[in-house]
Amino acid sequence: MKIAYFIYALILGMSLMAASGLSGQQTGGVRSISLPYVEVRLADGEGRDIVERNCIMCHSLDYIPMQPKFTKAQWTAIVNKMTKTFGAPVPDDDVEKIIGFLTIRYGTGN
Amino acid sequence: MAERFFTRRDFLKAAGAVAAGAALAGSQMDILASAAEKGLIEYPEKTGLHLLTSRPPNLETPLHYFKELVTPNNALFVRWHITPIPTSIDLSQWRLKIGGNVNNPLALSYDDLRTKFEKVVFTAVIQCAGNGRAFFEPRIPGAQWKNGAMGNITWTGCRVRDILGMAGIKPGSVDVAFDGLDRGTIPSVPDYIKSLPVDKALEEDVIIAYEMNGEPLSMLNGFPARLVVPGWYATYWVKSLSDITVTDAPFEQFWMKTAYRIPDNACGCVEPGGKPKKTVPINRMTTRSLIIEPLEGAVVKRGQPIEIMGIAFSGGYSIKDVVVSTDGGRTWAQAKLGRDLGRYSWIQFRYPWRPAKQGRYTLMAKATNSIGESQPVEGLWNPSGYLWNKIEGVEVDVR
Repeated sequence: MKIAYFIYALILGMSLMAASGLSGQQTGGVRSISLPYVEVRLADGEGRDIVERNCIMCHSLDYIPMQPKFTKAQWTAIVNKMTKTFGAPVPDDDVEKIIGFLTIRYGTGN
Repeated sequence: MAERFFTRRDFLKAAGAVAAGAALAGSQMDILASAAEKGLIEYPEKTGLHLLTSRPPNLETPLHYFKELVTPNNALFVRWHITPIPTSIDLSQWRLKIGGNVNNPLALSYDDLRTKFEKVVFTAVIQCAGNGRAFFEPRIPGAQWKNGAMGNITWTGCRVRDILGMAGIKPGSVDVAFDGLDRGTIPSVPDYIKSLPVDKALEEDVIIAYEMNGEPLSMLNGFPARLVVPGWYATYWVKSLSDITVTDAPFEQFWMKTAYRIPDNACGCVEPGGKPKKTVPINRMTTRSLIIEPLEGAVVKRGQPIEIMGIAFSGGYSIKDVVVSTDGGRTWAQAKLGRDLGRYSWIQFRYPWRPAKQGRYTLMAKATNSIGESQPVEGLWNPSGYLWNKIEGVEVDVR
């Protein structure tokens, strides 16, 4: 138990120290920031791993739950935009599975 | 049990769905976790903003910041299209290159921008073309911005005209293309490049800004320098500029020819769900207003005087008047306008109100600019969710 408290205090202390780490830093002529990583858990469902594997190449997964509930036709158009307009190298076998997952978990279901 | 609660894993779980990546120290993770509890996330150089997406980052400003006439740098929204975005700039190496159809190609340093050209300062609204997309019906794919993809900033920079004057534009020039340091993950992703017709680029208020509110640009808002096209949507305000290219033929890459286009008619709209016959690149902002106080759902005491407060702006033409309704648009009265920071800035409006009876009230504001442009009662629809400027109703509860 004491160890757990100690870890908590340590995290809290580091949080305060890290306040500066969240700001832009400039040393000499170089100015840098480091972007946070935000984990997104998609809804469970068949094809989730395929969606994650393909979509995350070019953008974070929060693009998916941000969208309104679209129809299969609308999700198909979005996935086609990613593959055809932006050239995302999604295997043909995966395209249908991705559209299916998005339509069922983040769409109208049909 | 205490020790269970205080395990690191549960702490994070309780604080929200923000977790650690390899590049992020555990300590930073916990700051993010605490911001996530409030539904906000703190990015570098930024206060807590609404997270739309994290890679590339798209962050929306909470409305209460718009009570201030000028938006604080750390509260300004963030919008990037492709990733990776620039996160480290060495000013000793960075150059803004000017080339294409010019006599003397240039490579300007940050100091060159600040010292070799006349300094221009003005306050201008920066607004994403898709601000308000979440309100369209039928709904539209894309970043689901509400009203927070805008801000009012005092920009300092130098004129594109002066830079192109130094480079010497050749006859027969058509467009001027602006490219920043962001690049797609894979080569097939079209680079984010925007162009202006030469005559637009040469207007005296089109500048390369190197300061916002008197400070260097924040990294996420385009350090070290970005284009500012006051009155036009921010899609043109290319961040972290690297190249300006004058072309001798129309510039027709993806982000001009396919994306960011509106129906080619007076309203920039079609019937909801419809398809335009012809489109043009989006350009000047529509006129709009927004009530900031009270906010939707507020409870107001009967008989107690309050002030309805908000902001109004248009695409480069000063706001002439703002009228306010407290009865859902049946009757309107003149609001008082605040300090005028020029035709590109937003202006604050105030209207004193003392509700006599209990009940639900719908507050509205409607702005008109100096050339008579105003706001529609019903939202105008277009397939990409741009130009949103409907007269919004704010419902409050008087008890």
